[in-house]
Amino acid sequence: MDATLHKQSFWSKYIFSTDHKVIGMQYAIMGIIMAGVGGFLAYVFRYNLAYPNASIPLFGHLSATQYNAFVTCHGMIMVFWVGMPVLLSALGNLLIPLMIGTDDMAFPTVNMLSFWIFFLSAVVLLASFFVPGGAFGGGWTMYPPFSAGGYVNHNPHFFTALFSGVSLMILAVALELVAMLMGGINFVVTTINKRTKGMTAFRVPIVVWFINIASVIFMFSVGPLVAGAFMLLFDNILGTGFYDPARGGDPMLWEHLFWFFGHPEVYVLLLPALGVLAEILPVFARKPLFGYKPIIYMALVSAVLSVLVWAHHQFVAGIDPRMATFFSIGTILISIPFAGIFLSFMATLWKGSIKFSVPMMWVLGFIGLFLIGGLTGLFLGSNTFDIYAHDTYFVVAHFHYTLFPDIFFGFFAAIYYWFPKFTGKSLNAGLGKLHFWLTFFAFNVTWFVLFFNGLAGQHRRINDYSDFSLIMREPYITFEKIATISAIILILSQFIFLYNLFTSLAKAKKGVKNPWESNTLEWVADSPPPHGNFQTYPVVYHGPYEYSLPGEGADFLPQNVQGKNDTNNVTQNNYEHKTATSFATHK
Amino acid sequence: MNIFPENVSTYGQEIDNLFWLIFAFVAIAFVISLFVLLYPLIKYNRKAAPKAEYITGEKRKHFKWVVVALVLLLGSDFVILYCEHDAWGQIESVPAKADVKVGIIARQWNWIFVYPGPDGILNTADDVIVDDMNSSLHVPINKNVVFELRSQDVIHSFFLANARFKQDVLPGRTVVRWFNLTKEGKYDISCTQICGVLHSKMRNFVMVESEDKYKHYIDSLYTANGRKTAMK
Repeated sequence: MDATLHKQSFWSKYIFSTDHKVIGMQYAIMGIIMAGVGGFLAYVFRYNLAYPNASIPLFGHLSATQYNAFVTCHGMIMVFWVGMPVLLSALGNLLIPLMIGTDDMAFPTVNMLSFWIFFLSAVVLLASFFVPGGAFGGGWTMYPPFSAGGYVNHNPHFFTALFSGVSLMILAVALELVAMLMGGINFVVTTINKRTKGMTAFRVPIVVWFINIASVIFMFSVGPLVAGAFMLLFDNILGTGFYDPARGGDPMLWEHLFWFFGHPEVYVLLLPALGVLAEILPVFARKPLFGYKPIIYMALVSAVLSVLVWAHHQFVAGIDPRMATFFSIGTILISIPFAGIFLSFMATLWKGSIKFSVPMMWVLGFIGLFLIGGLTGLFLGSNTFDIYAHDTYFVVAHFHYTLFPDIFFGFFAAIYYWFPKFTGKSLNAGLGKLHFWLTFFAFNVTWFVLFFNGLAGQHRRINDYSDFSLIMREPYITFEKIATISAIILILSQFIFLYNLFTSLAKAKKGVKNPWESNTLEWVADSPPPHGNFQTYPVVYHGPYEYSLPGEGADFLPQNVQGKNDTNNVTQNNYEHKTATSFATHK
Repeated sequence: MNIFPENVSTYGQEIDNLFWLIFAFVAIAFVISLFVLLYPLIKYNRKAAPKAEYITGEKRKHFKWVVVALVLLLGSDFVILYCEHDAWGQIESVPAKADVKVGIIARQWNWIFVYPGPDGILNTADDVIVDDMNSSLHVPINKNVVFELRSQDVIHSFFLANARFKQDVLPGRTVVRWFNLTKEGKYDISCTQICGVLHSKMRNFVMVESEDKYKHYIDSLYTANGRKTAMK
């Protein structure tokens, strides 16, 4: 696909592009921008927690209403507008077509639509800060009746209610889910139909497998939430009473619908990042991924279990106490496949030849932090201890120890690893290491101390603890200050990354083809890959992790290179290669 | 240093013990995992080990190590589940013998306490309602206090950290729970479910008193005709 054959204007090339790589980068850039917003909100309310009623630099005084809105939007943004776009959409778009050896997504126009609906959803969310009353401040879980409005206003004025913080947030989430659904369908259809010759199911790289599994989990769980979200919207703008007990509704219904989606969502965020780990570990250990097939099976098992554990978020919500044991067992069971995946990752390191490159450091940091996040989950999976720990900072610290490495370490590992692929340039390794160590230490200091605040009984989403004698004592006041200062260092460290990104982009292209000596197909294409990706579609002879295979000259064997042990079984598997042009529409 | 606030309930110690039990498992798992992660970083770094070994991990003799670890993890999980099961049943169900019955009503933004009137039965016309930003729920020491939790508006959550007790309060439902507090004093009740602009100010107290003082307090409520604010 010669770029000169179809001349594209700036608009069709970079803005309304149907090219999966451009769309992937649009998602990544949008995610980084929203991470900036979410990070700024975190800075403001963390500053307020350490220094109550102080005037916050770059912001000013933070009112209780604003505090609630900022905490709520921080959570919303980091999950739906950072985690989802960068891990699922950006990685899925950038990697799937290249890794399975095709030219684009199955539905490129739907793909473009997906991004622009996502963009619209971000605009709607940010607009909610500027409507009368400001953004919604009832927690990212949006529990009614607080979020339903109906309990104070049975006959809402339609437009006033529509342009309220809560309605806009519901709309934004619904739009975002629609965008992600379009992306998910695209990923699955593309992976099933557009694999290149010889790319059988068990030769597909783990990251592609995991993005597909995540997409299926997402599709399975999102329906009830979208339905629930519209019921919540109707409660707000039409005065219905789905969640209003005074009119026969029940707020518990929302809790179930929300967490039926909300817990699988955790795995939707986790799986793509684990896929990134699975790609990077073998490359820098020069060793096959430990247990490729078992890892896939364990992920499939976890996908089934993921929809059976949601009510562990509701242990103290007033569900029947006998039900809790069922969800406790489910929670224990689902921890097993994930523990297995992490153990397999760690086993990949043994008897390898480990190189501490920048992407590898993010991967190892990810595993270390997630170890703490996963093990503290054991306390919370116990329904009895959860009576005490629920809605305290112990929970908050726990999920930051899982989601922060997941979203940010996973994303940074991916960026440092694939940056040369998509730009033809490389990031500065020294700055990358500085960025890693500062982020790693600052994150640990911020959240480790807050485990203790949680155990001391500090509850969440409180802008001013002055009334609570258990919290207003040492060392917990000092811990709050340590956490805040450290969080500021954490946020400032990210400017090193931005500086590295911009200065590296300004440099001339090096055109290195396979800098890490990796096996997967994306490195077969030019760097950066042109529109259409491959000059000729590669043919695949074996799995993606053939490193240090005895008898081969080099310590890596790309998937499109026939090794000594590979029979030419490509013709035997009777796989009819579907040329991408029969699916994709090119102008 | 005690990492928990002082425990004053009969079942609180079981929660604390459960924490330390889980902590023991977690600490062992953490140390082993950290070793498995860090040891190869030293032993098998590029300088020490220039050549990697080709292990796919799909053979039984290799993957069995992962299976062994998972079985151990699953085993510890079920030990924890077994050990916590009794405490869960104890906290979440109401004892047969209720010494005192009270009603606790959540509202934006304070806790309202309802004492049975002279007839001794809750939810009758002579109930005494105490509705005040800084009021205390008075309870006698070493007695089974059974309470009915309700909400008038949005979801709240009743949290008494010193008793290790927490329960969400959803409008439209009545949740009956209990505690038995063993030390005299005044303890914070907070709301742990975000409920609006003054969520941070939703704080009342539990006042644990001797039997005599408690009786005196209840009597004073009756004589003061303490129907301060009627429930809507």
